[in-house]
Amino acid sequence: MAAELTKLRSLHGEPAVCLIGSEPVPFAVTERHLLVPHGERGPVAVRFDGSYVWSFAAARDGSWRPRGWKVPWPDALRRRLQGTTMVALASADQVRFEAPVTFGGNSDPLRLVDRRGHRLAVDSAGHLTRVFSETDQVMRDQIVEATRTALADLRAAGFDAHLSYGCLLGAVRNGAMIGHDSDADLAYLSKYTLPSQVISESYAMERALRQRGWMMVRMSNADLKLLYPLPDGRKVHIDVFGAFEVGKTFYQLGSRSGVLPRSALTPASTVTLEGVELAAPADPEAVLAFLYGPGWRTPDPAFQSDDPPGGQRRIQGWMRGFRDDVISWNEFFRDRHGDVPWKQSEFASWVESRLGPDEPIADIGCGTGRDAAWFTRRGRQVLAYDVSGAALRQTRRRMARNGAEGTQARTLALHDRRSALVAGAELARTAQPVNLYARQLINCLDDEALDHLFLLASMAVRRGGSLFLEFSTGRRGSLAPHQLMSRVDPAKVVAGIEARGGVIDDLQVGPSSGFLGEADPRVARIVAHWPHPRTQRVTHMTEATR
Amino acid sequence: MKKKYGARRYLAETLYLPRRILDLEDAVMENRQLNRRLAELTDILAELLVPATERDEERLGVLLEKYRNESLAP
Repeated sequence: MAAELTKLRSLHGEPAVCLIGSEPVPFAVTERHLLVPHGERGPVAVRFDGSYVWSFAAARDGSWRPRGWKVPWPDALRRRLQGTTMVALASADQVRFEAPVTFGGNSDPLRLVDRRGHRLAVDSAGHLTRVFSETDQVMRDQIVEATRTALADLRAAGFDAHLSYGCLLGAVRNGAMIGHDSDADLAYLSKYTLPSQVISESYAMERALRQRGWMMVRMSNADLKLLYPLPDGRKVHIDVFGAFEVGKTFYQLGSRSGVLPRSALTPASTVTLEGVELAAPADPEAVLAFLYGPGWRTPDPAFQSDDPPGGQRRIQGWMRGFRDDVISWNEFFRDRHGDVPWKQSEFASWVESRLGPDEPIADIGCGTGRDAAWFTRRGRQVLAYDVSGAALRQTRRRMARNGAEGTQARTLALHDRRSALVAGAELARTAQPVNLYARQLINCLDDEALDHLFLLASMAVRRGGSLFLEFSTGRRGSLAPHQLMSRVDPAKVVAGIEARGGVIDDLQVGPSSGFLGEADPRVARIVAHWPHPRTQRVTHMTEATR
Repeated sequence: MKKKYGARRYLAETLYLPRRILDLEDAVMENRQLNRRLAELTDILAELLVPATERDEERLGVLLEKYRNESLAP
C-alpha cells in the first residue's frame, strides 16, 4: 500500500487521500480528482455516505494517464469538498471502491446539503442541486403537478408542447422520474421554419406564460426555464425547449439536430409519469432514440450526447450567440453575496460629489445594492437594474430599509436589445433627467451587451445627466468572480460611447478597489454625456442659416 | 474560363484554406445572429412602438409597463 501511495503522489504531484486495490490499476480518490482504471468506460456513480452525488464517464470526463483515467471533481462539487465522508464508486451496479475520505484536512462530517438541510447532487448540467432521488413522494407528486400545469398552459396557449428528455425517458422506461435528474423537461414543436420566426414565437410564449402567472428565466432565444415554487421553499425548474425544422434538418434545444419526421412529434400522444397522464410526442420511442441514441433503454446517469457540430453551430448562432451568465450570477449572489463589501464603494462617493443635490441616479448592474442603498440613504431618487433576480431581491430589501418607496429595482438583461430599449425608454420618461451609474458592469459584458448599454444611455441621458462608469482595466490580474468578469481596455469603451453619439467628459485610470473590495492598481473611470439630437439639429440649422 | 494558378499561388491559396474556413464560419455565424436582431426589433416594434405613434403619453406609459412585465421580467 505504501508503494501505491508513493506512485500516486509522484504521478499527480499531490498527496493521495485514499487508495485501495492492488496491481495493475486500482480505483483511487484524491482531494482534486479520482483515478479510474483504463478498462472502465461505462458510467461511474459517486456516493457520499450512501447518497448519490455525481456520475461521470471516465473516458469522456477524464484525461488519460499511464495508470488510469484521471477525472477531476466537477467545479460545483469541488467548492463544497470540506470534511470527511464515506466515498463509494459504483459501476454496473457494483461497488468498486468504498473508503472514508478526508477533504481539506477536516475531520468533521462532510455535509452536502442546502440551507434547508436537503441533500444535494450534481445534475447533468453540472449544477449542484437537489435531485429527484432525494425527493419524497409528496414532493414528486408536486413536481409532476407543476409539469402538468405547465403543459396544460402551453397547450391552451396554442403551443404544441410535450414531455421531453429525462421526463419522457423516465415515463416511457418505467412511468417514474429518473433519480439523478433534477429538472422537468418539456419541448414544443414550432409552427415556423425560419429561425427569426421561431425566436418571435418564443417571445410570444413568454408573454403568454407570464400572463398566466408563471415566473421564468430566458435561457436562450428558444428555451425558457419556468420556476414553480414548492412549499419547502425550493423551486421546480421546468425547461421548455424549442424544436423546429429548417430545411430537412430537425433541431431541438439543448443542441440536438438530425433527421426526425414531424409525424414522430405531432399530434401529441400521452404517457404516464408518476401516475399522471401527460402529453407526449406522437412516437415517444422514435423521439427517445433521436435524443439519446439507440441505447436509450439502458440507464446511463453520465449520458452526454454526441451532437453533430454543424447543428450545434447553427443552434448557437440562431438561438444563443450571446454571453448569458444569469444563472452563474444568481448562484453568486445567492451563495457568495457576503464576499461583496457592505459599505458603499469609493466610486459612489466620487460620483456623489459630482451630482447636484436632487439629481436622480440609475444604478445599472446594481449587484447587492450596496451603492444603490447608499444613494437612497443620501436622499436621492434611485432606480436600480440588474440581470440577476437574486441581486434584485437583495437590492430591493436594502433600498427599502433605507427609505425607498415602490418598485425601484428592475430586471435589465443587456444581451437582449428589447430589455435595453425598454429600460432606455423608461429612463427617458422620468420626471427629471437621470444620471447613469455603472460600477464594474463593463467587466461583465460582451461586445454586443456593451453596445446595448450605450444604446440605453443614448436614450436615457439625452435630456441631461451623465453616464458614470468604473471598471477594471490593464492586462494583468484575473478578476473575481472568475469566468464572469474580465479586464477591459478604456479605448474600447470610449470608441463604443462615441459610436453611439456620446461625448467623453473625463477619463482617469488609477488605483481603486475591485468588485469584491480587493485593491486593484488599474481602474478606469469615465464620465460621458449625450447631446440631445434635436438641439444638435437646431444648432446645425442655425449655423447653416448664418 | 478556368483561372490558372502558378505553383507559388496555388500553394499560398492552399495554405490559406484553413484560415479561410474559419473566416467563413465567423461570417456565417454573424449572419445567423441577424435572426435574433430581426426578431427583437420586430417584437418591440409590434408591441410597443407602433402604439407609440399614436402619441398618447398616458397609454404609452401603461404599454411600456405591460411590455416589461409580460415580455421581459418585472
